[in-house]
Amino acid sequence: MNVAVMKTKAEQGLAEQFEKVADKLPGSTAVKALRAAAFGKFGALGLPHRRIEEWKYTDLRVGIKDVLPPAVSDQTPVTSGDLIVALGPLAHIDAYRMTFVNGNFRQDLSDWDGATGFEISPFSNALTSDSQSSAIDPSVVTGPDGDATIALNTALMTDGAVVRVPEQASPDKPLLVVFIRAGRTAQLMTVRNVIEAGPRSKSTIIEAHVMLPGAVVDGQTNTLNEITVGEGAEIAHIKIAIDEGKSLHLANSNVALKADATYRGFQYTSGQAIARNQTHVTYLGEGGKLDLSGAFLARGSEHIDTTLVVDHAVPHCESRELFKGVLDDRGRGVFQGKIIVRPDAQKTDGKQMAQVLMLSPDTEFNSKPELEIYADDVVCGHGTTSAQLDDDLLFYCMSRGIPQAEARALLIESFIGEAMDKVEHEALRDALMQYARTWLTNDKS
Amino acid sequence: MLEIKNLHVKLEDEDKVILKGLSLTVPKGEVHAIMGPNGSGKSTLAYVLAGRDGYEVTDGDILWNGESILDMEPDERAAKGVFLAFQYPMEIPGVAGLTFLRTATNALRKKRGQDELTTPAFLKLVKEKGAELNIDIEMLKRPVNVGFSGGEKKRSEILQMALLEPTLCVLDETDSGLDIDALRVVSDGVNALRNKDRAMLVITHYQRLLNHIVPDKVHVLADGKIQKTGGKELALELEKSGYADYTGKAA
Ligand SMILES: Nc1ncnc2c1ncn2[C@@H]1O[C@H](COP(=O)(O)OP(=O)(O)OP(=O)(O)O)[C@@H](O)[C@H]1O
Ligand SMILES: [Mg+2]
Repeated sequence: MNVAVMKTKAEQGLAEQFEKVADKLPGSTAVKALRAAAFGKFGALGLPHRRIEEWKYTDLRVGIKDVLPPAVSDQTPVTSGDLIVALGPLAHIDAYRMTFVNGNFRQDLSDWDGATGFEISPFSNALTSDSQSSAIDPSVVTGPDGDATIALNTALMTDGAVVRVPEQASPDKPLLVVFIRAGRTAQLMTVRNVIEAGPRSKSTIIEAHVMLPGAVVDGQTNTLNEITVGEGAEIAHIKIAIDEGKSLHLANSNVALKADATYRGFQYTSGQAIARNQTHVTYLGEGGKLDLSGAFLARGSEHIDTTLVVDHAVPHCESRELFKGVLDDRGRGVFQGKIIVRPDAQKTDGKQMAQVLMLSPDTEFNSKPELEIYADDVVCGHGTTSAQLDDDLLFYCMSRGIPQAEARALLIESFIGEAMDKVEHEALRDALMQYARTWLTNDKS
Repeated sequence: MLEIKNLHVKLEDEDKVILKGLSLTVPKGEVHAIMGPNGSGKSTLAYVLAGRDGYEVTDGDILWNGESILDMEPDERAAKGVFLAFQYPMEIPGVAGLTFLRTATNALRKKRGQDELTTPAFLKLVKEKGAELNIDIEMLKRPVNVGFSGGEKKRSEILQMALLEPTLCVLDETDSGLDIDALRVVSDGVNALRNKDRAMLVITHYQRLLNHIVPDKVHVLADGKIQKTGGKELALELEKSGYADYTGKAA
């Protein structure tokens, strides 16, 4: 028998931390057993590193040096005024709110009174309740088997949102699920969200990972979204992660689409030392549609990775992906997009595009689009481009009186704007653009 | 008054010298035309006036209202009233025409110490000026110049000029690619801007434009210098005899 050996200091540290907090983490005996098994799996896998094909460009063995204590029943005081500040432009969005501080649910900062069309509860309740809620059934995890970040998530999952949209429901407002980092202690937050859109429902969920100004900058987040979109249902899921250059953000979204279901995803990511958005989409019925886009902005030595696996397992489904990256200084972007078309998935229509704008000569962009097509009657395409800001266009703008900084911002915004236009909710789109504008004006170079 | 004195310009990255001691004066209130063979440096002169990178002024100076503009950034020059209507207007994907026009208008108003225009006031102004140039507001909701025909691009340049109210207007082959009616519309637009405080430099290959925009003077630019200056009848002469005399002289 092969007993896995922990190799790096960080892996060892994680084992110590897990041992220390295992008893304090929420959950019944069944959940505890699940955690132990998951951590055993993580132990066998270790932190993903460059010799694992899917992690070629994002080496967590090198990237994770320090292990932070997991945040369990965190009590950091945060007021509703703080919440407004942390939300920035999102504060103006008229939405139901569910708030987590350092990964733990905070009723006092949440408000979904009178919400029709959303059934909302904290994931920690599901963990502790006796009934075997589907939310904690390990088989619910539809994402890549054998992914260490997912195993680690299951081992340490603390809290998150469980959201159900009943059949045919169409909530009048979006639900904003906010994860705030606060306080001066650097911690590891492990979040599990379970989202289930009932048949023919239509809803919008915003998932925002933000920090309170002045909070510790080097937190770590591991988040996993399990999303099921029912027959004929449509869901818009806008995920936002904003940091200040030192944090680690590991995010998995596993999306299952039933017949005629539509998932519109948008991912806005900026400011992490290392961020990885890993999205895995599986079609379970014909007529499914995926419209996934995003914008990532990295400067300093930040590293933002977008990894997608779109698995066309059934015929007559459509997928569209459009990602835009802006890189400055030594910022690095990674885009890996895999489209699998299984033998039965005839009439698949899949298109993917990733484009980056390089504002400095020291930036790096690694792109790996992959088409794995086993059916013959399909339309699939992908492309990647990287370009610099066009000096001629800059001159044209400036010759009309627009100052250089403003002209640059105008051109960069227009570049990202093409992806942001995919967000249908207007106020939300404006808020995203506001984030990008703030990022651009924070340019210290 | 625009004073170009003994201007020498070469390409920054290459040894190619384009302007070789060009001198030219355009007093306020006057319109001067520049004609000259392909490749003689007309657009180069226009770009150097507007402040484009890639050209190096090795000698001479450009004064606008007595002040040298050579060290100014393009946007500062615009604030001082310099405007170039491009020979090849650029397309800016993703930036709506109206956004671009409003950003430019307000940036200039700010620099000139005027109040920024409110959105309704701005829209009213664009509609008015646009109507005079046959430009529909719907067209301006599209990205700047993207998908515009050649003639539409030229008209949109003149609309920008009308909105930004420059005092030194440089028009680089604005007539090329215009149909007969558009030529009249554009000329009317330019003539409407003629006044005692504005100087205009009109680069063209065709005498016909000068029937519409009647110049005070016509200059022939060849081999990097002004070879001859005359009245509007010089354009008619050139139409007949071509540039052989001037390029010959240079050879
Ligand atoms: N950026 C550049 N790189 C290389 N060559 C250049 C550049 N700009 C100008 N030139 C060269 O300088 C010369 C003058 O060009 P310019 O465009 O000023 O001519 P022009 O008089 O406007 O011609 P046309 O009548 O064809 O518009 C040409 O030989 C041109 O090829
Ligand atoms: Mg030219």
